[in-house]
Amino acid sequence: MAALLITLVIALPWLGALLVWLVRDRDENLQHSLALLFSGASGLASLVLLAFTGSEVVIRVPVGAYFGDLTFIPDGLGVFLAAVAAVIGSLAVHFSRDYMHGEAQLGRYYALVLIFIGAMAALVLTGSLFFLFIFWEITALCSYALISFDNDNPRAVAGGIKALLITSVGGLGLLAGALLVYSYLGSYEISTVLERSGELPAPALAVLAFGALIAAAAKSAQVPFQTWLPDAMEAPTPVSALIHAATMVNAGVYLLARFFPAFAPVPGWTFAVMLVGLLSALLAALMACTTYDLKRVLAYSTISQLGYMVYAIGAGSVLASQFHLFSHAVFKALLFLGAGAVIHSVGTRDMRAMGGLGQKMPFVRNVFITGALALAGLPPLNGFWSKELILEAGLHSGPVWAFALMLLVAGLTAFYTFRTVWMVFFTPSRVSEVHTVGAAMKTALAPLALAALVSGFLAGPFDALLSNSLPFHQLHAESTGALLLEVLSAPATLLALAVIAAGLAAWHFRSALTGLQALAAPLQRAASESFGFEWLNHQIVAFVQGFAGFLRRSQSGQISWNLAGIIGGLLVVLVILLWAVQV
Amino acid sequence: MLDWLLVIAAILCALQVVRSPRLLSSALWLAGVSALVSILLYRLGAPEVAVIELSVGAGLVTVLFVFAFNIVGEEGQTAASLIPRPLIWGLVLLAAALLGWYTLPVASFPDRAAEPSFAVVLWEQRGLDVLVQVALIFSGVMGLTGLLGGVHQLRKDQALQETVSSLPESPPPPLSTPEYEPAIEEVQV
Amino acid sequence: MNALLSDPASILVIGMLGLLGVGFYGLLAVRNLIKMVAVLQILIKAAVLALVLAGRASGQVNLGQSLAATVIVADTVVAVIGLALAVQVRRRCGTLDLKKLSQLRG
Repeated sequence: MAALLITLVIALPWLGALLVWLVRDRDENLQHSLALLFSGASGLASLVLLAFTGSEVVIRVPVGAYFGDLTFIPDGLGVFLAAVAAVIGSLAVHFSRDYMHGEAQLGRYYALVLIFIGAMAALVLTGSLFFLFIFWEITALCSYALISFDNDNPRAVAGGIKALLITSVGGLGLLAGALLVYSYLGSYEISTVLERSGELPAPALAVLAFGALIAAAAKSAQVPFQTWLPDAMEAPTPVSALIHAATMVNAGVYLLARFFPAFAPVPGWTFAVMLVGLLSALLAALMACTTYDLKRVLAYSTISQLGYMVYAIGAGSVLASQFHLFSHAVFKALLFLGAGAVIHSVGTRDMRAMGGLGQKMPFVRNVFITGALALAGLPPLNGFWSKELILEAGLHSGPVWAFALMLLVAGLTAFYTFRTVWMVFFTPSRVSEVHTVGAAMKTALAPLALAALVSGFLAGPFDALLSNSLPFHQLHAESTGALLLEVLSAPATLLALAVIAAGLAAWHFRSALTGLQALAAPLQRAASESFGFEWLNHQIVAFVQGFAGFLRRSQSGQISWNLAGIIGGLLVVLVILLWAVQV
Repeated sequence: MLDWLLVIAAILCALQVVRSPRLLSSALWLAGVSALVSILLYRLGAPEVAVIELSVGAGLVTVLFVFAFNIVGEEGQTAASLIPRPLIWGLVLLAAALLGWYTLPVASFPDRAAEPSFAVVLWEQRGLDVLVQVALIFSGVMGLTGLLGGVHQLRKDQALQETVSSLPESPPPPLSTPEYEPAIEEVQV
Repeated sequence: MNALLSDPASILVIGMLGLLGVGFYGLLAVRNLIKMVAVLQILIKAAVLALVLAGRASGQVNLGQSLAATVIVADTVVAVIGLALAVQVRRRCGTLDLKKLSQLRG
């Protein structure tokens, strides 16, 4: 049964992509309906799959001697991420009915979104490291194609290429790791790696662990690879909601969580992970406080929350990290789709041109505030429970200064969230014309808002799901009540709530805090320059182009030199042969 | 002793192919190389391929070269090579030395054991090679007719070019670039 | 060293290497396209010699001969096409000099 469900979850979106593409762009409604049908069916199958989790391989397709077997395992970690991808995918597709109404080339759009959903589900469900890399790259390709969907817009194309380049660097690291594993252990199976990681020589395991960290940091937009995510906001907003908030950027965190038992013993790895998460959370939160682009705020907050998840893995709590991943997927998709509704109605992304939308768009205001409260971490929304679990784990097994900084980030999160909500919905209106929000948008937003309210109480079943089917991670499950009580009674919780209240108050009384603002002015400037990371990117690109220009001079076009090069190559081969034979 | 003479003569003829200023001389020296190599092959105990080499190398190829430079005509020979001579000598000597280091120890002739005759080996064991050769010759002929037959097409194209270039040119239509929302400036108020 | 000078195998290997060396020298030094085809012919003769040598050294002369025959046919086709190309180049570009050809546009 699990095998059939996995096949449906992965194959239905791909079949849908083919059909949507075949239908051509003549009938927009048919394309919307087909896309919704297939993604919805996949979402349904993934939800049913939740009941059939286990830690055994259920599908095994042999693909030849050198690539291992294509295996799929329905364990808790994979199934819940596949469910997130498919369900939020179908909601984003439904949202696109209104958002992308009247756009050109919708066949390409829906096909890419559907291919992405299938590839993401396959990525998290597969048990082979090699095929994980392949699905990883397919999602990167879909992400690039969707970011530059409006391919006459030079900024969109530039953003897409930037995303592709940075995440591909990570992908190469993943491939190198997969090949390393194969050369030492003879198998690509993830369960083999987790079981026999002790057999790898220490340098190889260290290379593997840090390589995986780099791959995950590149994919999940962590420091120092975080520059691609804000520029990826040129994508249509449902794409941003699906790919750059709820699913693809989670692939990096998934990778770290999946391989945690194998890499945790590597000296310095957990500290490096914690540091990466901390820096990303802090820097991104600071950058979010200074930007005026609505989607960029959400992009920075995504980087920041992913930093929380990575920090939690560094602190050793895979459960807290994944629970926050779940909550974040829900409320961030909610926020992005809400922002999409706002942007679609107002026609701009600049928050300085918005304001007073609270009265004109009450439904969107309500769901957006729900998401914002979840992001800030206020009870009883899901963000509160998961963030507190992370902070507790950090306090328990990490340095205190890291905990203190993460607490500061929580306050900053509350600050910029409140700032965003205020600027968009409550200031005196600067908006002249507001288009109505379509029914499809509303029906896509409502389930997410509901989930943000109640999914915190699913902590117990979530725990059980993960710990029952991940034999190597040695997780200890507790019931919902125990978890919630633990959160409520921890002193860290009170501290966090106090900081969050301080953050909210800081925005509310900002006119009285001008002294503090003047003090923080250099920090503001640094934050709006993205702390020098964009400058670093420019330098790298300039260097590569300069080097290419220099190398161009070696191509004279004269055949005699090419022949000399060939004979030189022959010499090299001969030297290697002789050296290998003699030695 | 005879072997040494043959080898040195072959190498000298080959050098003359490269160095002689006129194409006719080069072709004749090439025929000389072919003949000497053919004798060496015979002394190696391979009479069939020696005959093939002699007839093809010294006969057919020489005729081809003569035809070719009759059509093309002589051109002023510039002696200077594009790559500095020391580099050429360095690469060549190094390559030959390394290859010699590699092969000389292995080269030794055992007594000839009994083996199937040349005809049996060629037609039965390497029959596929013969088919490949037939395909090669066929494609060579096709290539040749395509290349040399294109001369008429070339002349027709040139005539067409002249009539086209005498027509007045119309200016291309102006392109319209769409307006995009400028990037939101992160200016501090 | 004496053995080297009198052993027919070594003499022929030196011969093959000599032809190869002259061939490489010609590849790098020649500027006329038709002469380049002739230089390729020299290289092929070295290859034929090597094939038959290897056949003799491993006791399978006839196998070496068959392979050498195939190579000769192939190299003749190469010479034919090469010369036809050279003729066409002369007609279209007006020159056979390698340096001038690499500077031509179009």
